[in-house]
Amino acid sequence: MSITFKNLSHTYNEKTPFPSAALNNINLTIEEGTFTAIIGETGSGKSTLVQHLNALLLPTAGEVDVNGFVIKADEKIKNLKSLRRKVGLVFQFPEYQLFEETIESDVAFGPKNFGIEESIAKAKAREVLELVGLDESYLNRSPFDLSGGQKRRVAIAGILAFDPEILVLDEPTAGLDPQGAKEMMELFKKLHTDYGKTIIMVTHDMEHVLNYCDDVILLKNGEIAMKSDVKSFFKDDLTVHELDVQPPHIVDLKRRLTACGFAVDEEAFDLPSLVASLKGELQHE
Amino acid sequence: MSNMVLGRYLPLDSKIHSMDPRAKIMCMLFLLIAIFIPAGYVGYAILLAIVFVVVLMSKIGLPYIFKAMKPMLFMMIFLFVINMLVIKRGNLLFELGWFSIYDEAIFQTLYIVIRLLLMISITTLLTATTKPLDLTLGIEDLLGPFQKIGLPSHIIAMMISIALRFIPTLIEETQRIMKAQASRGVDFEEGKFMEKIRSILSLIVPLFISAFQRAEDLAYAMEARGYAPENKRTRYKLLKLRAFDVVAMIFCALVIAGLVGVAILV
Repeated sequence: MSITFKNLSHTYNEKTPFPSAALNNINLTIEEGTFTAIIGETGSGKSTLVQHLNALLLPTAGEVDVNGFVIKADEKIKNLKSLRRKVGLVFQFPEYQLFEETIESDVAFGPKNFGIEESIAKAKAREVLELVGLDESYLNRSPFDLSGGQKRRVAIAGILAFDPEILVLDEPTAGLDPQGAKEMMELFKKLHTDYGKTIIMVTHDMEHVLNYCDDVILLKNGEIAMKSDVKSFFKDDLTVHELDVQPPHIVDLKRRLTACGFAVDEEAFDLPSLVASLKGELQHE
Repeated sequence: MSNMVLGRYLPLDSKIHSMDPRAKIMCMLFLLIAIFIPAGYVGYAILLAIVFVVVLMSKIGLPYIFKAMKPMLFMMIFLFVINMLVIKRGNLLFELGWFSIYDEAIFQTLYIVIRLLLMISITTLLTATTKPLDLTLGIEDLLGPFQKIGLPSHIIAMMISIALRFIPTLIEETQRIMKAQASRGVDFEEGKFMEKIRSILSLIVPLFISAFQRAEDLAYAMEARGYAPENKRTRYKLLKLRAFDVVAMIFCALVIAGLVGVAILV
């Protein structure tokens, strides 16, 4: 099971005097169980790409295969709800989707839409709220009394509540303080490792890409400029440079050390292992 | 939403586009008044001819005007049917049991349809050739004299321009929220009555919250830049009435006079 894009293109306002191509002939496979980052400049087509995963946008050419659910251009989709249940999409600033009077019923809203019985939906709501770090005292509070970060947790819980196989996150940490962002990323990591979710995350934060993701896809002007695993992506100094990606601090540090004549361990991607490799080298001398 | 025609500005370069917005608004008002002068077929023929020429001058093209008419099509058909059934005057044209059509019904309907057609074309001409901001400047200036009797013309104009400015933003917002709720399994097209209410609620509540939030942000931003509606303000863009504008206004005023003449004579 995997997600496959085949020759997919998307043009906004097709058949009007002002068409604008957002995606151009995308061919891509994302394996089940991976944590994939999608990066690229604003307007490179990241959001357009992920909105094809639950058929909010339909391809204007080509097709997408999401774990066996095929969406083709110019073909009517049957059983859309089963796809949307499989793919949970968390939009950028998802807190604006909150509308219910209590947090519990807002989180249970999604499962109920997918035909899950009320009592089970509510039990599920408790469970996922616990998971995102909000205890039972929050259940009957209004979602509008919460802080920004808490609202976002509730909104994400609202997606997790219907147990999607694939979780798509569009810049989930945008606008959060560093601590909040870190907690959010730890949550996604947990969902990935403990719950086996396939996670696809649009992000601008290279630290998050390096520290949490397996694979990285770089989009440029609606085309895939690069797809590789994270470590070789950041190892390859030239690609990082030429493709105009701001590297994570540790990669930058390693590059500077190399420039000063140190032999730095290529595999060292965190501070302790980098320090250890340098120590080894110094003792060697 | 992008194929919505009603009230959209078309950035073209024409004699009509470059007119003073105040003159354009006055012309529109004169022509709208002219529509309601009962000058019969001659009157409507004259007005249709004028509108036709202005559309050509504005370069926006007849297809655009017809597209603007589309939402009104249903209303026109509805009026047509009602008139056919209700008006029973004039000469009998057709009869089948209880069902009969009189020529007066057809004339009446035609009048209404032509009037609607004219009104929509004239207002579309104004909005398609005038930037929303220029339009509000024009409205502000035209309401200026009423300030003496306490009409806050500047505030009214500011309200109109803010409303116009936020239409596309709110449409975008609506689409965003619809997509987010669709991802949570909301079906905006189908479903039972109660589900439908729920789904509309899931759209309306966030939309209102964000609109209020935007209003608050905008108010603070305006205040931070020292906006005070009662103060005297200068303008970056000064409106200037040119010969063509004056001629156009006099022409439109003469159309009214002419049609009144026709109405009396006929």
